[in-house]
Amino acid sequence: MSRANKFPRWQSLLLLGICLVAAFAPLLPLANYSTMDVSQQLHPPQLISAPFLGTDAQGRDMLSRIIYGARISLSVGIFGTLVALLIGVPFGALAGLGSTRRDNAMMRLADALESIPMVVFILFMLSVLQEYRLELASIGFGRLQLFFVAIGVLFWLPTARVVRAECLRIKKMAFVDAARSQGMSAIRIFKQHILPQLWSSIGSMLIITLPRVILMEAFLSFLGLGVEAPAVSWGRLASDGMSTLNPLVDAGWLLYLPSIALVGCLLLFQRLARWARDYVNLDS
Amino acid sequence: MNNLLRRICFALASVMLVHALAFFMLHSTRGGPFDSNQQFSAETLAALEQRYHLNESLLNQYLNSLQGVVTLDFGPSLQYQGTSVQELLGSAIPVSFILGGGALLIAIIVGLSAGMFVASSSSRWRVAAVRFSGSALLATPNFVVAGILISIFAFGLGLVPVAGHRQLSSWLLPCCALGLPLAAQLFVLIQQHALQAHDSNAYRSAVARGLSKRSLNINYILRPSLTPVLAFLGPATAGILTGSLVIEQIFSLPGLGTFFVQAALARDYTLALGVTVVYTATLASCTLIADVLIMKFDPRSEAVS
Repeated sequence: MSRANKFPRWQSLLLLGICLVAAFAPLLPLANYSTMDVSQQLHPPQLISAPFLGTDAQGRDMLSRIIYGARISLSVGIFGTLVALLIGVPFGALAGLGSTRRDNAMMRLADALESIPMVVFILFMLSVLQEYRLELASIGFGRLQLFFVAIGVLFWLPTARVVRAECLRIKKMAFVDAARSQGMSAIRIFKQHILPQLWSSIGSMLIITLPRVILMEAFLSFLGLGVEAPAVSWGRLASDGMSTLNPLVDAGWLLYLPSIALVGCLLLFQRLARWARDYVNLDS
Repeated sequence: MNNLLRRICFALASVMLVHALAFFMLHSTRGGPFDSNQQFSAETLAALEQRYHLNESLLNQYLNSLQGVVTLDFGPSLQYQGTSVQELLGSAIPVSFILGGGALLIAIIVGLSAGMFVASSSSRWRVAAVRFSGSALLATPNFVVAGILISIFAFGLGLVPVAGHRQLSSWLLPCCALGLPLAAQLFVLIQQHALQAHDSNAYRSAVARGLSKRSLNINYILRPSLTPVLAFLGPATAGILTGSLVIEQIFSLPGLGTFFVQAALARDYTLALGVTVVYTATLASCTLIADVLIMKFDPRSEAVS
């Protein structure tokens, strides 16, 4: 266990590199990721010359599709996680710092929400999405934004529990008592004494939630809830690859390459998450 | 005992709550069950609504539906005319439960043995290899696992059929695809607790007393790590028994997930609610069973809760 506490330096550098490549993708000399070319259909990967990673069934360049896919996958990961924290942290803090009765009520609510099967929730989301598509689009609420919210709603519970537990622990400490006896207001106590202690667990929940969110995006993409047509994400690429899987056409790279990108990136995040978990000593 | 009773009440309440939520969410979305494929005349529509009580007030419909849940009679399906929801559920539940049971079996066997291997093996390379495959499996979406299994075992080697559920061998791939990611989760969990057990004073003193390797492994490593595993397996079993949408879709198995997707999209209120209730009840009862087992297994937990 002790060995794991070293900061995973090269893994983080690699992740940073991936994020930079994704962020500056438009500046890179890449083929357009959505231009179809019938003459180039299903070109296998060559590694040393032009379609380096091959082309898909519409003749689109896989290398640039994977790099552009990283943009969506990573931003869904980051923003989805932020939404989850935005819901989970206040909820946890309100429960943990309030009266016992409020704490009990809020935690029973959390238990009840946990008893809703995830599939049920996702499907209702799907049907609402189909139904109110145009209205949502007219208020500037596209697929991607809906995604962030939906993912936040799915993933805030663990964060809320961790933050609550931390609050319960910090609340009992002597310096909080001291501050209260000085007549500090509850808000000021929270800002000056409790929040600074919470940052490390909030930060580690961010790193722990992020890979789960990216995986969830892949799952939703497979169900047809993913990003819309010209945009690509790793999940969407992998599920496209899955749909071209058949015994007559050998196009395995369409499934394997985006999967390798996804799994590799998630492994790096997992390593970071393990470090974060040990760093603040969370059991969950 | 009092504790148990409270838990049962909580489980029942959560089924009711989810049913109510699902009912009002379904009815609040626009579109009805009869406006998709065919164009009905106004009279036919009125007659249909009359027949399925859709013209009554929402509260009445809800009370009807609640009565259905209590008496386990969910009424006729709106989408599959002339078939009751129970019949549809009756055909779907065995498929989902066989798939889930097989997956669970694979997950427990693979996960436990990998965890025990890591805890007791001394070869660093093998341990690292097992750990890496565990992490990689955790990071892989299950449709990709299914895709890889299909392209290797069905297309590549031709050992098993890709779809269908008539032969025993065709269950193998879907069960693996559903079970292996769970095995990885189980492995991570048990490894963590097995390592803790390995560091404990109880284990060290048992070694000093010269117990056999087998007894050490079973009584001093496996047994203390089982409580968290049970706590995890409760909800996970429910998730897996009710099948996975994705796996059912890929292997075209007519299980609960498939019905649920269709029902929710076609506004088949009765069928969707029926599946929701089955899902929630399974989740609640699996969690309950796991809690009871934990109490039997580890008497300390009863004192805590």
